[in-house]
Amino acid sequence: MAKVLIPTPLRQFTGKQDAVSVPGGTVGEVLSALTAQYPDLRKQIFNDEGKLRSFVNVYLNDEDIRYLAKNETPAADGDTVSLVPSIAGGSTAAPPAETPALTKDEILRYSRHLIIPEVGMEGQQKLKAAKVLLVGAGGLGAPLGLYLTAAGIGHIGIVDFDVVDFTNLQRQVIHSTRDVGRKKIDSAAEKMVAINPELKVTKHEVALSSENALDILKDYDLVVDGTDNFPTRYLVNDACVLLGKPNVYGSIFRFEGQSTIFAYPGGPCYRCLYPEPPPPGLVPSCAEGGVLGILPGTIGLIQATETVKLILGIGESLVGRLLLYDALGMRFRELKLRPNPECPVCGDHRTITKLIDYHQFCGVPNPLSAAPAQETKLNEGEISVTELKQKLDRGDDFVLIDVREPHEYQICAIPGAKLIPLGEFPKHVEEFAADADIVIHCKSGGRSARACGFLRQNGFQKVRNVVGGILAWSDQVDPSVPKY
Amino acid sequence: MIRIELEPWLSMVDHARKAYPNECCGAMLGTIDGDAKVVSAAMALENAFEGAQAARYELRPEDLLAADKAARERNMDLIGIYHSHPDCDAYFSKTDLQNSCPWYSFVVLSIQKGEFHHANSWLPNFDQTDAAKEELSY
Repeated sequence: MAKVLIPTPLRQFTGKQDAVSVPGGTVGEVLSALTAQYPDLRKQIFNDEGKLRSFVNVYLNDEDIRYLAKNETPAADGDTVSLVPSIAGGSTAAPPAETPALTKDEILRYSRHLIIPEVGMEGQQKLKAAKVLLVGAGGLGAPLGLYLTAAGIGHIGIVDFDVVDFTNLQRQVIHSTRDVGRKKIDSAAEKMVAINPELKVTKHEVALSSENALDILKDYDLVVDGTDNFPTRYLVNDACVLLGKPNVYGSIFRFEGQSTIFAYPGGPCYRCLYPEPPPPGLVPSCAEGGVLGILPGTIGLIQATETVKLILGIGESLVGRLLLYDALGMRFRELKLRPNPECPVCGDHRTITKLIDYHQFCGVPNPLSAAPAQETKLNEGEISVTELKQKLDRGDDFVLIDVREPHEYQICAIPGAKLIPLGEFPKHVEEFAADADIVIHCKSGGRSARACGFLRQNGFQKVRNVVGGILAWSDQVDPSVPKY
Repeated sequence: MIRIELEPWLSMVDHARKAYPNECCGAMLGTIDGDAKVVSAAMALENAFEGAQAARYELRPEDLLAADKAARERNMDLIGIYHSHPDCDAYFSKTDLQNSCPWYSFVVLSIQKGEFHHANSWLPNFDQTDAAKEELSY
């Protein structure tokens, strides 16, 4: 008779007994006798073929019977037989057993990767198993989408809700002229699948927000930030930190770009570098300040390179280094970045433990909650483009000032407007009579509003800002005026 | 459902934080009344996985046997296993599933950047193909 110790969860099958004495000369016989006596126990220990289930280890006293004589191990009176599950695990599936195999076509397609020792079959399988989220299908998203697809990333998600605009074509090479007016997400996905029909593309046609970000990001291995505004940049950063997903970052302006990796374990996050957003309006967007069309190609491909390196686990990543690129000087520089212990989202004393209102944080209106432009009523001190047109047609006595830059004036202008760039404005104040009727415009109404405020502070009474600027003029008055 | 009392809960979280960036593992002892499980003691066990332990753990059966013995001596039952997922959600991964056992509750603690983030309890099935989420309170 040997004593079999019954694990807690199995006692329901043995009439609540924690130990059962059963006859048998070997461990195998003991177990047979045990399951004969308690048939419900059989399914727990043996599989359908009558073999011990893979997670069950049998111990005789303190020894695993696998290292004794297995089922034939003699069991004497007073011996104790224990059933011990083998338990292991881990947060990630273990490569290479878990990674998807490559098909014959894929081996041919990726042959130039496979013969690089650092990539090889194992690396290419990692790329195939990888799930990457692109935030934005614009300037940075274009090269990222094309090259990450070509490189063999198995699953790419895209977040974008914008439509292809004519002004995008100068840099967003994933979209063609015939795509103007189409959803960027559809246009991008089509080009990517054309490169690799095996690619799985998930389209998230939404504006990334505090409400949906965690839900969208959680299914991806890493996130590539191709956004062009501060609220989304902070949102992506915080969501990546909270979920523990690397954020491959890039940003561009005119001739300069930056790239690094945020939210990687042990590395800094975007907030470590920039705890607070710049005051609204200080840093112009690409739409306001312009960008060399090729620049997002350079920066996007640095992001793509870092993404692939992270997935492969090779090389020296940009974690902790901010790479700065100056296209005019054709120079790269780098700055060391360290995690900030005071960082509110990844530091020692965190105050941000969930996503916040990022538009409020950045001091900018939420474009989605703002009323559509055509419904905005004119405020005191504002004039519409149609009213301006009537004023010009009537030949009213007034001064029309354009506060844009000379290079913008060269592109288009409203007839009769006097060009005084905003920066030179204060020097020209004395040219106007204090009671003059003054109307000021710029590209879309922002700079001219500041000029109006400046004049009012200096005692001018009749100063009005052209709502919507020359863009509205082109839309509503004279379509022959080119938009830029 | 499974409820973890304060003292064992704190020792589990502490164990997981100290093991970061590696995974930790241990046993949960307590009592079972029908479907209601109460953990009143946690036993830290060694992660015996040979290799990088940032994303893997392995329990030695001998250690589990010892935990079961300790439970019996204290008039308790071995009712579950816990382990941590550093910088990763507390889901039941494929690796977890394939090396699991349907007899016990599996509590997974998500440790993000060295700090406790969230936890879930899982009940794997016999075929090691799926795990149901178990209501967890602590």
